[in-house]
Amino acid sequence: MEKHPSYANLSPYLVKYPQVAGALFQTYNDLKLAQQWTGLEIIDVPSCSRCALRGSRPNTEEPLSVVPCSLSESLSTDWIRTTFRELGGPPHVYLAINTEDSSIVYYKISPGIVKPPL
Amino acid sequence: MSLIGPSRSKGGQKAGARRAENNRIYAHPLPLAFHSSDSAPSRLLALFGISSTRLENPHCEGIFDPATRSVWVINERDSTILWRRGFFGKGDLSRSEPSWLARQINARKAAGKYMTSEEIREKRRAERRQFKLDRAAAIARAAAEAEAAFAEGREAVPVAIPSGATWKPSSSTAESSLPSAPPDAEGEESESDEGEPEEEPLENVEHLQLTLQEAWFLVWNLDCLTVLDPQSNEPMSLRQIWHAFQSVHCIPPELPVYAHRFDNPFLVHYAAYHYYRALGWVVKGGIKFCVDYLLYKRGPVFHHAEFAVVVIPVYEDPADQASSPFTLPNANTFSWTWLSTINRVNSQVQKTLILTYVTIPAQSRVSLELLSSPACLAHYSVRDVVLRRFIPARMRD
Repeated sequence: MEKHPSYANLSPYLVKYPQVAGALFQTYNDLKLAQQWTGLEIIDVPSCSRCALRGSRPNTEEPLSVVPCSLSESLSTDWIRTTFRELGGPPHVYLAINTEDSSIVYYKISPGIVKPPL
Repeated sequence: MSLIGPSRSKGGQKAGARRAENNRIYAHPLPLAFHSSDSAPSRLLALFGISSTRLENPHCEGIFDPATRSVWVINERDSTILWRRGFFGKGDLSRSEPSWLARQINARKAAGKYMTSEEIREKRRAERRQFKLDRAAAIARAAAEAEAAFAEGREAVPVAIPSGATWKPSSSTAESSLPSAPPDAEGEESESDEGEPEEEPLENVEHLQLTLQEAWFLVWNLDCLTVLDPQSNEPMSLRQIWHAFQSVHCIPPELPVYAHRFDNPFLVHYAAYHYYRALGWVVKGGIKFCVDYLLYKRGPVFHHAEFAVVVIPVYEDPADQASSPFTLPNANTFSWTWLSTINRVNSQVQKTLILTYVTIPAQSRVSLELLSSPACLAHYSVRDVVLRRFIPARMRD
């Protein structure tokens, strides 16, 4: 992992939160290299003991927040509420669930009931 | 030709050629291949019962990554062999086969001759978005028409609302449909591109990621993979690999509570993985369908997965579960809502649900020393239950 080009940006956070290091690394690479998100920045969220990522989809300006987690973790609604608070109350947050075979499943979480767009 | 409806053959000749191409590329079900020479001397030897069949072992190499709990195969020759012979692993920046470099090159050329599966997926999603917009507009029109008709006291003129089967992409969205990439042609294109880069040359930052179960299967059963230690870059011995793969789940590894546990998640999942692989199924991860594994008859390129497997660990001795430091998912009795949800999700995508019960041996009955080698796997039993929803009104026969 150390030889990967993304390691330099991530190394302080990978060391700080070793339990979610794999999830953060995989999500960062997926957003930056595969989905080609722009303006990707890492936000430290100590109360959830992990980092969140914020960036925008290619050709859009709207910043989207992504919280990586791994399949083996168990989450609670309290955790989700804390995440929303720490990230400054965005309209929605994407939860990136990482697996060992490098598949990532993204879930969009909004506080409250949201009607589907179409 | 809409991508969102059920696919019909796009003209017998193209589909047949692609099938033949796939049969040629994915001919070997496992990385080990048998080669028999058909020369006169070997046929003579065959009369005496001496076979000329040789076993080809590709000797692939991977590096163990504890943070992502996986084995990375970085060099392209090995990742291609492991993918094409048995569909092991997944490109970490791709849907399945490592195709990130090909997609970047396609994007740069902006007129890629072949589409990768990710690009087909994007096209399908764009079509589905357009279909939803058309449908919403038609529903709004129907509602407005009904309102107007009611106000005027006449019958409403029926408005056709498109459904998935009846909608056709409009001519603006239907660009020339590009054939999906035969992998050989892609390889040649990317090589010829390296010679004349417009921007800086692309470094392939993608690797093939093997789960610990896949890696152990290749290392122990087929002996075609070498796993390197991430710190020292030295090949790990079988014993070291066996212990390392179990201790990734123990955080921190030195705690005595983790010692001698039969319910280590690696062991439980490996029992199920080995069971299905040994029966000849191609086993891939099933997170997209809320299950643990998907079973493919020949491989993902041939047909969609027929079965979705949920691994349910069962403790032979309940005291083991009480003292367990691991919280294995699905170890407790499940509710009907959970079962119905998973069954519904998978019925929607035409997959049959299989519940795979893996019985974890009791620490009181089986000697704990067995855990130091794969011999302990003989004590796990795997039973599977196939689940189908029965609707009495519809299923009369």
